[in-house]
Amino acid sequence: MLYLLLAILGGASVVLARVINYNLAEKIGLVQGTFFNYVFGLIGSIFIVLVTHNTIFISSATLMSIPWWAYLGGIGGVIIVTLSSFLSAKMSAFYLSLFMFIGQLIAGMIIDYFLVHSLSPLKCVGILLVFLGLVYNLSLDKKSSSSPTASAQEV
Amino acid sequence: MTFIISILTGALLSIVISINGFLGQAVGDYTSSIIIHLFGLITMILLVLIKKENFKDLKKIPLYMYSAGLIGVFTVVTNSLTITKLGVSLTIALGLLGQSLLSIFIDHFGLLSIPKNPFNRKKCIGLVLMSLGLVIMTIY
Repeated sequence: MLYLLLAILGGASVVLARVINYNLAEKIGLVQGTFFNYVFGLIGSIFIVLVTHNTIFISSATLMSIPWWAYLGGIGGVIIVTLSSFLSAKMSAFYLSLFMFIGQLIAGMIIDYFLVHSLSPLKCVGILLVFLGLVYNLSLDKKSSSSPTASAQEV
Repeated sequence: MTFIISILTGALLSIVISINGFLGQAVGDYTSSIIIHLFGLITMILLVLIKKENFKDLKKIPLYMYSAGLIGVFTVVTNSLTITKLGVSLTIALGLLGQSLLSIFIDHFGLLSIPKNPFNRKKCIGLVLMSLGLVIMTIY
């Protein structure tokens, strides 16, 4: 199905955007890099709404219903974009993707534990497998003497 | 240390995605994207003003480097579409596959200023272990 491919492309786009933004930040700095990320992101978002809804009119009722913590999402996004650019210089693209995903899963587990008081034992098995695979791959990186790469130096 | 920061960044991403998810329920996915970008932009404008940034080098920069934000909008749109059609778990799993494939590709060829890190075939064992672990964690 086309949607399967679309999902894969969606994931790939996350990495592509991050790496391109890293390139921009290398040239003009982290703050300006993130700034332009949001400038063009806003322009793109407005365009999408125009295309799909044919209007950018957001009713005042809708505006009133925006909770205060929505602003936290905006700040959080800024932090993520900036840190992603910063970290791209410090580790390989693959490890960065991997560690960020592990962070997502761990956060999910912690939130589940405190919110719903559930801790699935299978998830712990899963984390162990991830850890084992990661340690194995990292040991391969340390052994490889072909070239000093970011991933071999770091972590 | 950077290892810890990257994990924390991922954790923050989970939180932000949840917040944005709530917002999307309330006002619609694409509209919420405008709001999220607007709030982020406001934050960045404040930062730019506070740090008194000089926008001097802009002309020397190739146009494609500004595309990150636009690509991000593509991410939001495809996520909205595929979550509706495929569900969250499959979207996440396929998304991670896409991330991994492109990451390995970029690392292997050293594209876009990322240091060249040729793919070591022995890593497949580690990748299988990690994938298995991640699949288990995602499903359960």
